[in-house]
Amino acid sequence: MKINITRPSLYMIILSIVLLIFVLLFSFLVLIPKGKEYRKERIEVKKAEKALRQYQDFHDKTAEDLKALQKKNRNIIIAFDTAFNQEQFEKQYKGYFSSLHLSKLQNRLKDDEFVSYEVNATSHISSPKSFYDFIEALNKADWIIGVNFPITFKRDGELIKSSFTMKVYYADKNTTKEKPKASQPQGL
Amino acid sequence: MKYSYIRPRKKSIFTPELKLLSTFFSISLFMLLLTYAFLLFKDYSFTNDLKNTQKVNVQLHAYLQEMKEQIIYVEKEKVLAQGIKTENAVLRDSIRNLFDLVPQRITLSDALLDKNSLVLKGITPNKDVYNFMLQAPLRSIFHQTYSSFYPAGNGWMYFVSTNYTDEENHED
Repeated sequence: MKINITRPSLYMIILSIVLLIFVLLFSFLVLIPKGKEYRKERIEVKKAEKALRQYQDFHDKTAEDLKALQKKNRNIIIAFDTAFNQEQFEKQYKGYFSSLHLSKLQNRLKDDEFVSYEVNATSHISSPKSFYDFIEALNKADWIIGVNFPITFKRDGELIKSSFTMKVYYADKNTTKEKPKASQPQGL
Repeated sequence: MKYSYIRPRKKSIFTPELKLLSTFFSISLFMLLLTYAFLLFKDYSFTNDLKNTQKVNVQLHAYLQEMKEQIIYVEKEKVLAQGIKTENAVLRDSIRNLFDLVPQRITLSDALLDKNSLVLKGITPNKDVYNFMLQAPLRSIFHQTYSSFYPAGNGWMYFVSTNYTDEENHED
């Protein structure tokens, strides 16, 4: 049996076969593996984005907590950051005493992240009540100050001479970290 | 020999069938290459996204660490400040209680308050008043109480009262 194929038909058949082979090879060797890789990467990116969103939420929550904590303890933070001013202290609290004199005892006692120094105070008070009021007012002071032992009270005519030490605490600037800024990392 | 009566046509290799086939395959190839280009672009885009995600993650981690340190620091400040305020309040109450303890008939001239000791100096009408009205309450507070007297000259007695608490018990 003789098959009679014209030349253009033969070209067509050959071209069709070549193109078909190219399409098949390209699809199976390049396109399908790349497609599989694409799907895998898409899942990975989605996973990473989900994890990042969770981390971002946690970051935002922590930032809110920090902000709330700083807002709640604003006075304490400011008090720790305020340098002790002897003159200002005397001016502010001399109303509780008939006379008040401060002298610096010891400088820079480092305790963890805080630095403290001791101030010796000698004063004259008309009654112990003045001293109680002074301690109460000290708890609302611009600085963090603790009254320490020993405390002496001595009769001095009509007045009481009192002598006590105070410890002034403030934040050590060398160890205090810069407060994190409210800036947010650039998202995706 | 046969002759045709029609005019001879110019024959071309690109027959209409071949043209149709070529068009079909061209479109197919174009679509395949377009798909491949899309996949390549997406691959590049995913790689970029992953890098960006990692970068943001590192930034977030750094911010978080800073914030955690800040929180710990503020908490420390808060605890220290509250501790100092409490100690001041306790001290104020202790001094107030001490002075409330001294009866009207006894007059103090000196009081030295230390962490574990108290020294009081003053004048009392007689030993009994001191013993009943001041020493008894002091004994209930301190673990060791020592008193000494010497005459004031007007029938009254000067007294020196030294009182100690055991440090261990105090700390307990």
